Amino acid sequence: MLQFKIQGRGGQGAQKAAEILAEAFFREGKYIQAYATYGGARRGTPVSSFVRVDDKPIRLRCDIENPDVIVCFDPSLLTGALLQGAGEDTLLLINSASAPDHFASLGNFRISTVDAVTIAHANDLGRIVNTTLVGAFAGLVNKPDLDILIRVIREKSPAKVDQNVKAFLEGYRAVTGGMN
Amino acid sequence: MLLNGNHAAAYGVKLARPKVVPVYPITPQTPILEKISEFQARGEMEVDIMTMESEHSAMAACITASLAGVRVFTATASQGLMLMHEMLHYASGAQAPIVMCNVNRTIGSPWGFWPDQTDSLAQRDTGWIQYYCENPQESLDTVLQAFRVAEKVLLPAMVIHEAFYVSHALEVVEVPDREVADRYLPPFDPPHRLDPEIGESWGNVVNQDMFYRHRKTLGRSMDQALEAAIEADSLWQELTGRGYGVIEEYRCRDAELLIVTMGCMAGTAREAVDQLREAGVPVGLLKVKLFRPFPVDQVRRALKGVPGVVVLDRNFAPGTGGFLHQELKAALYGLEGGPAVHGCLAGVGGTNVSPTKIAALAREAMGGKPSVFPVWKG
Repeated sequence: MLQFKIQGRGGQGAQKAAEILAEAFFREGKYIQAYATYGGARRGTPVSSFVRVDDKPIRLRCDIENPDVIVCFDPSLLTGALLQGAGEDTLLLINSASAPDHFASLGNFRISTVDAVTIAHANDLGRIVNTTLVGAFAGLVNKPDLDILIRVIREKSPAKVDQNVKAFLEGYRAVTGGMN
Repeated sequence: MLLNGNHAAAYGVKLARPKVVPVYPITPQTPILEKISEFQARGEMEVDIMTMESEHSAMAACITASLAGVRVFTATASQGLMLMHEMLHYASGAQAPIVMCNVNRTIGSPWGFWPDQTDSLAQRDTGWIQYYCENPQESLDTVLQAFRVAEKVLLPAMVIHEAFYVSHALEVVEVPDREVADRYLPPFDPPHRLDPEIGESWGNVVNQDMFYRHRKTLGRSMDQALEAAIEADSLWQELTGRGYGVIEEYRCRDAELLIVTMGCMAGTAREAVDQLREAGVPVGLLKVKLFRPFPVDQVRRALKGVPGVVVLDRNFAPGTGGFLHQELKAALYGLEGGPAVHGCLAGVGGTNVSPTKIAALAREAMGGKPSVFPVWKG
């Protein structure tokens, strides 16, 4: 089973990112479970999304304690609670202009960064960084399938469809082009 | 398709074709009513959606619409259910077969949005049938079953799932065909209805004897709900291949200890049971799906001869403890060869309960004597 967490703030599209990834895995024939918890459903408050992917139906109804991947939309959310349960095999993907070394003190994880804010701005997406980070996720985890993901993003983008696809591809290339 | 628990429930509602849906929004239930509004806007549901000024009014509207002889649905959670409390009694007293989804959420104060079953369990004596669901698919299926049962015995029914773990969990869900649902759920045609042409009424002042008789009738309806629920589930299984039972026994054969729980924790408990069985520990799961009426005979049969049970309650009544723990002890009273009953408050307030934790609680219960007091286990 692949298990990952996406941590963001209300309004950044973290929940949507989880939905996009879950939908793409589902179309690959996987069973998925994706849910989110939030404190106040307001812009700016922390939103945590959890995704499980497996070849058989998923019965667990509890938090993800040992995530394979953590995607963090905002470095100010890199707290002990978020990183609890993460180990040396955990991939930690951070939305940041800084190099991974900058976050080395967080612990012994596989850290990767992508400057999603810059990419999102360049593509006229404002602070909606989710598609860029979905691209980086796909680049690092090497799944789900790129073509399926692009189709899902096209269907699920409420506006600026081409810009979202472009940001997605730039996010993907940023981590596969030797930047991590 | 992929649906979260709330949207799955809404698909169940669409298939049930209610005519009136009084609504009042509250987190984490609102997506149910949003989806129903969406169905209506797209012309997929012919329904009168009434936007009310409070949950109390929403339930009052449900009762009157139901008494007028149409199928009625609403949804709420937590504080909303609290505000409805008075009207919940009124609904069962009026024998109005309303179906309502309640999404379990902590009750203030303090304020929170977390999965905890205390809101609906605190309504256990209001005369509503209560179903607890484990996952989105079960919520969809149970909405249809609940209408069938409610309308057969003329009692309102609650279909309950927990916040986030079910309400907001996106999963693979099979939506039955319209023809299947129509075959399963015939149009609502009650023996009595409020209609100026007929001249019947409801809610007049009664004397003591009439009230006494009415309470007995209500009790009989609730008793009949058990058989009706079993029938409704068997028929659903015939039509869709999915049945749940009023209780479910998972790997209970030769078990020395059964984990007993309700709602979505049953899913996590299945993983714990598999882990323990693999390690050679003879443990099973008893999931209670129908909580009202409480399936006393079924539970007694399932637990006769089992040395021990550990009840996991994601709910808490100060002064007594876990609701299911209390109910189970009462149901087992006087049973020869009945089990030792351990009660654990686990997940109260929405705290995380992992399979590892459940397995540890099961092992602990196997080696110890039960306490009559509530035991806090995080």
